[in-house]
Amino acid sequence: MLEDATPDTLKHVGGSPDRIEAAAKLTGQALYVSDMTLPGMLYAQVTKSPHARARIRGINTSKAEALPGVRAVLTGAELEYRIGLYVVDKYLLARGEVRHFGEAVAAVAADTLEIARRAADLIEVDYEVLPPVLNHMDALKDDAPLVHPDLGKYDHVSAVFTPIPGTNIANQSKLRKGDVEKGFAEAEWLIEREYTNPSVQHVPMETHVAIAQWKMGDEVDIWTSCQSPFAVRNLFCYTFRLPLTQVRVMVPHVGGAFGGKAGIHLEPLVACLSRKAGGRPVKFQATREEEFSLLPCRSALTYRIKTGVAADGKIIAQKMTMYWDAGAYADYAVNVTRASGYSAAGPYEVPNAWVDAYTVYTNKPYGTAYRGFGHVEFFWGLERHMELVAQVIGMDPLEFRRLNTLKPGSITLTGEKITPNTGNPTKCLDVVAESIGYGALTAEETAREKATGCKIGKGIAALHKAPAMPPFTSSSIVLKMNSDGTVVVNTGLTEIGQGANTSLAQVVAERLGFDLAKIRISPDKDTDRDPYDWQTVASKGLVLAGNAAILACDDLLAKAYEVAGQVLRAQPADMDHDGEKIFVRHHRDRAVTFAALAIGYAYPDGNAIGGPLIGVGRYIAQGLANLDKETGQGNCALDWTFGAHGVIVEVDPESGEYHVLKICSAFDVGKAVHAEILRGQAVGGMVQGLGTACCEGYIYDEQGHLLNPSFTDNKIPTARDLPDVIESVAVETPQLDGPFGARGVGEHPMISVAPAIGNAILRAVGCELTHMPMRAEDVWRAMNQAAPIDNWITKTPNKSCKK
Amino acid sequence: MLHEFEFRAPRTRAELLGVLADHGGLAKLMAGGTDVIVNLRAGGIKPRVVVDVKQVEGYGALTWSDTDGLVIRPATTINDLLRMPGLRERFPLLVACAHDLASYQIRNRATVIGNIVNASPCADMAPALLCLDARAVIASQAGEHEVPMREFITGVKRTVLLPGEVLDRVVVPASSVGARGGYAKLKRISGHDLGLVAVAVHKHGGELRVAVGSAAPTPVLVSGLKETDDAATVVAAAQAAISPISDLRCTKEYREHMVGVYIRRLLREVA
Repeated sequence: MLEDATPDTLKHVGGSPDRIEAAAKLTGQALYVSDMTLPGMLYAQVTKSPHARARIRGINTSKAEALPGVRAVLTGAELEYRIGLYVVDKYLLARGEVRHFGEAVAAVAADTLEIARRAADLIEVDYEVLPPVLNHMDALKDDAPLVHPDLGKYDHVSAVFTPIPGTNIANQSKLRKGDVEKGFAEAEWLIEREYTNPSVQHVPMETHVAIAQWKMGDEVDIWTSCQSPFAVRNLFCYTFRLPLTQVRVMVPHVGGAFGGKAGIHLEPLVACLSRKAGGRPVKFQATREEEFSLLPCRSALTYRIKTGVAADGKIIAQKMTMYWDAGAYADYAVNVTRASGYSAAGPYEVPNAWVDAYTVYTNKPYGTAYRGFGHVEFFWGLERHMELVAQVIGMDPLEFRRLNTLKPGSITLTGEKITPNTGNPTKCLDVVAESIGYGALTAEETAREKATGCKIGKGIAALHKAPAMPPFTSSSIVLKMNSDGTVVVNTGLTEIGQGANTSLAQVVAERLGFDLAKIRISPDKDTDRDPYDWQTVASKGLVLAGNAAILACDDLLAKAYEVAGQVLRAQPADMDHDGEKIFVRHHRDRAVTFAALAIGYAYPDGNAIGGPLIGVGRYIAQGLANLDKETGQGNCALDWTFGAHGVIVEVDPESGEYHVLKICSAFDVGKAVHAEILRGQAVGGMVQGLGTACCEGYIYDEQGHLLNPSFTDNKIPTARDLPDVIESVAVETPQLDGPFGARGVGEHPMISVAPAIGNAILRAVGCELTHMPMRAEDVWRAMNQAAPIDNWITKTPNKSCKK
Repeated sequence: MLHEFEFRAPRTRAELLGVLADHGGLAKLMAGGTDVIVNLRAGGIKPRVVVDVKQVEGYGALTWSDTDGLVIRPATTINDLLRMPGLRERFPLLVACAHDLASYQIRNRATVIGNIVNASPCADMAPALLCLDARAVIASQAGEHEVPMREFITGVKRTVLLPGEVLDRVVVPASSVGARGGYAKLKRISGHDLGLVAVAVHKHGGELRVAVGSAAPTPVLVSGLKETDDAATVVAAAQAAISPISDLRCTKEYREHMVGVYIRRLLREVA
């Protein structure tokens, strides 16, 4: 719904008003679930598996139950409930077998946290340890142990996903376009490589936390730090076979989520503890260590790409094979596999394409959504590959990319035709290339090289992503006018730091023509109060909820005009309004205020017309459908947001240590609704991408114990790791069906940061990196053509620095 | 398992030594707590008594005199040390190492003596104190005795301290004033991290010393080199003294390589 308004007529959209929640957060008044205590509340703890794979021979809970202050003890034996977003494969507590290190085996609720911890430790589990399958490539072998021998019996969303019973494959997604073999036969060059990356953690500041109260009559109240209250409610009710009327999910401020709080996690278990404890509310908050293994991570990936390039440098055919490491449960990994599969070639036109994407079960903590939904991982391989292909064919990597980018008229992997308003990846590349002075070093940079002995390199990488969501995804907004003419906005979209509330308030203020100060949007969300929104994920919030907000504004105004028409004895066509009142265009003093109309207009004698003004807006994705399971063809993309990063890196050729001197990121956002929030997203996502690029990754021993479940050995970037110069640029090719032309950009800044750095390192010191992260040692080894260290399943002792 | 312990915060040294004498090896001394609390939470230690030394009279004093040198006591935090007037001029290496220890917030809590007593191979204060000929003054009810810093740490998380003893103070002799030095530490991020390997280079009166962290069960001091020695000689001497391992932080080969890189880099930088 692109509005005709040009930027100079927009009052709110495109500006940078203060964020609605800023003062509450800065003063500590913002309420998070972590802060909450309810009367009579109990504290939960879980007993976790120390093994990656083991048969549970028995669980003795008698000591825990005997401990004074313990109000509920649960094991899997009592909980015959399985949950799963797409493949229903996970018990609330392990039954029969544990499938990963850190998996919940038993749970307790007690009067205090201390008693709960003691009780959890007193639960004795008799394990028969079994050999785990840890590496996802090993899990594909014929003799690999099966993580889920019952895979064939599990419920799953069969319209979209294809588990293969008798194997460790939770899903296979296919895409077939053109004739790949014919394309390869015609190609001048064939280049095949493999790229890998390990699992990583989201690391939200607020760890996962939920409070649940299972009340009389099976009414359940849930307060949770989550992204999607309606998804939690609906999945919860599916699991327990409850009507949706009996479960209420409330989400106050959320201390970071990044995909790790999409879906459903702690809520069912905490609710079961409450039920067992006779209806007292129960709270569970994960420790940081539990965040790394009880809760899910981002999947590891092995990505193999074979590219055929024609004599003129055009990609003619590409075969792409993805092996996603789901860990022990399918959760979001199967959908990451699907969404990555149909995007696998990036923002480039590939006339003949073949994708096989597999989700592979292993005995490790399981993968879930993480900002980028697979694209951070596969773009690492893809954009390194584009660089290496360019090198092989002797073409400048920027030119090679520009030649192959999607342009109006291009056909995507799934058969969608690109239009002039789809967005412009080429322009994003050009913007960042110019910003970093791509292709040559300045005199200053050359002098710096001489002075430091370091080498400076410049690299670029492109990216794209569409929301990964069902084709029927919808959002709704309700506007309620107060009797003073101000407006309350109700939405099920959560504010998770991305600025949804402020941006939606801007859209509403713009469309109503009201001052922003008149728009109230609640920081907390409540499934009983707020209208439906599918989920707060996938960079789709602003597009879908923004469109719903525009429609809600139109509805509210139409209702106000209807009553005003009677009061003013005027036709709607002759009326207009400002932020205070509706007036007759040709007699501006004939006016009625919104305040007078808001809860019904009363004449001087008390006689009244109208009623409370409520505007309803609903928007559902248009023209999308499930992809064909055999060919991957169809229209799956609400919108494509394109982008690029340009990086200047300084590498010490002796040691492999490196530092990012500058990064410039450009995203075709259609319309920057809030310039500063956009920059916040761009910088925040870039830093998160930097962590993925430089240091993050789960390390296991050969028994499957996670060796680095804390910040001691699982580092994330700090303020000192920021590039010296950070630029972000909004390219604005309007999205015709986006609110004011906008499209989503929440995830994109994290995508392709790593390959841009890898490409810059290649330029600086000539080393080819195919594994992410790129630790200093990895760079040093690559410079010396030494075999890369693959220590993600390490043979070294699990105690660091010990002899 | 949640571990319960008795918490004591003696006010005098006599009281402290009494508590230690009473509880022997079952007492754990704590200053800033940046290692002790982490280890308690992880279940790595299970002391009967945790003895906080921060309240002990005189333990916060950080003093300098031309005769006694620099005297660091148990409650001196890393940031106390960094804020001491004149320290950078007298002991630049000490400042360099202190500045690279963890983050500002942790340096507000972490103490110099705690860093040494914790006896990690990657203790950041160790390389400086080794190079600067620091002495450890150990106290117990039996009295005081002194050991050179290079003998104080005996293994991974092990020191010469016996049950009942406290590292009462570390003395950096005035004779070390005038030394030049520098510190280089390999980290996974530019922000705070444990050293994957760390090197201190120290030049004083013609003598060259190198101390290496995270490359052996204890921080290693290589002394007796000459300022005029060429880099290859110095690197060879250091390589002969260390015994790095591969672990999840990095490999043995990279540790060995980086010791050489850092020695050459510091030899250039420390004029």
